[in-house]
Amino acid sequence: MNISLDLISGALSFLFTLLIFSYAIGDNPLFRIGVYIFVGVSAGYIASVAFWQVLYPKLIYPLMNGSLIMFVPLLLAVLILMKVSPRLAGLGSIAMAFMVGVGAAVTIAGAVSGTLIPQVMGTINGFDINIAAARGVGLIEMIFNGAFILAGTIFSLSYFHFGARPHADGSMHRLGFIEIMAWVGRIFIGITLGAIFAGLYAAALTAFIERINSLINFIGSFL
Amino acid sequence: MRVLTAAIAIAAGFLILAGYFFPVFAPVQTLLLNWAIILAGAAALVGVLNLITVHWDKIRRREKSSGYSALLILGIMVAVLVFGIVRQPAIMHAMMNGIIIPAEAALMGLLIISLLYAAIRLLRRRADVMSIVFLITAALLILGSATLPFGNIPVLGTLIRPWVSGVLALGGARGILIGVALGALTTGLRVLFGADRPYGGN
Repeated sequence: MNISLDLISGALSFLFTLLIFSYAIGDNPLFRIGVYIFVGVSAGYIASVAFWQVLYPKLIYPLMNGSLIMFVPLLLAVLILMKVSPRLAGLGSIAMAFMVGVGAAVTIAGAVSGTLIPQVMGTINGFDINIAAARGVGLIEMIFNGAFILAGTIFSLSYFHFGARPHADGSMHRLGFIEIMAWVGRIFIGITLGAIFAGLYAAALTAFIERINSLINFIGSFL
Repeated sequence: MRVLTAAIAIAAGFLILAGYFFPVFAPVQTLLLNWAIILAGAAALVGVLNLITVHWDKIRRREKSSGYSALLILGIMVAVLVFGIVRQPAIMHAMMNGIIIPAEAALMGLLIISLLYAAIRLLRRRADVMSIVFLITAALLILGSATLPFGNIPVLGTLIRPWVSGVLALGGARGILIGVALGALTTGLRVLFGADRPYGGN
């Protein structure tokens, strides 16, 4: 049973890799067949996971055990299911409002405690002598690197400053020094996006090599 | 309805936020977060049902690409059967390793062509300072981290690459992340105060 399933799995893997790689010669029906089946299977998988990992243990099981308070999320879940019908979609906005409210609160907490404070602290810690000593970094190197990181942070933030004042000719411009800082910020943002691009390219290259290797291995297993 | 939805969103948001500051609200916060997780699961089901509805309509109207839509619905049905009803670990494993993971990896692998094409287009369409800095950085980091046939390039892999990615790129990334966090914070506050109502009703 396992051997045949492995063979089926390997054959499917071979087939889907070829179907998707056919995009290298341009958009074509083979690529579309591969992608549509992949989207369908992924959607079915997501639906199954949503039911068995979320709805069953968190809603249906407690309801079966007599937890009356779970009738509230049940009602909200039923309301959200109304979104499928165009006539009843309006009722779903109650559940959507609840989700948006919770999402907004979680976003605020996450932005402050998960990004703002750690990133600001990280920039400050770039000048911490104790941390630098623990890493074996010299004082001058610490100040040099810390200054570049601080400058990069401030200049990149300046790039996103869109407050402008009207000039005599009616045109809108940022203040002169903000404009200069934003220009330097563009260089830092360019470097950052370049680094992200390089990381993404390396990951894509790894995936490509892994797929080519799997194609060769599958053919090789029959030789 | 508008007032009711706004009141629900604002009350839920403030109760969740209160849980972070006052321990007495922590059980309410946990309860509401659990309800939100349940609703997210229900929303995922709605998304899949909507996908089925849209593609079923295409098949019914016999549109040009209805054959692909039929394949998509077939894929959903097979996946629901395997992952949701039969739930045999060996079959689930085979489907996961035969379709989902290879297709994802192959699509990721295709990115090398798309990214290369995008980089060339960027140089041809917009050869300004930012584009040139972007491409030079990308080339430096790729060359600095790649294993080349003639060995590593001296200085590049040991000095320039770590400094560019660990100092210059870090500085820019911090600015972008702080900017994103400030934007998320502002948007969240606007929703909590009812200025933005993305759930319907201005």
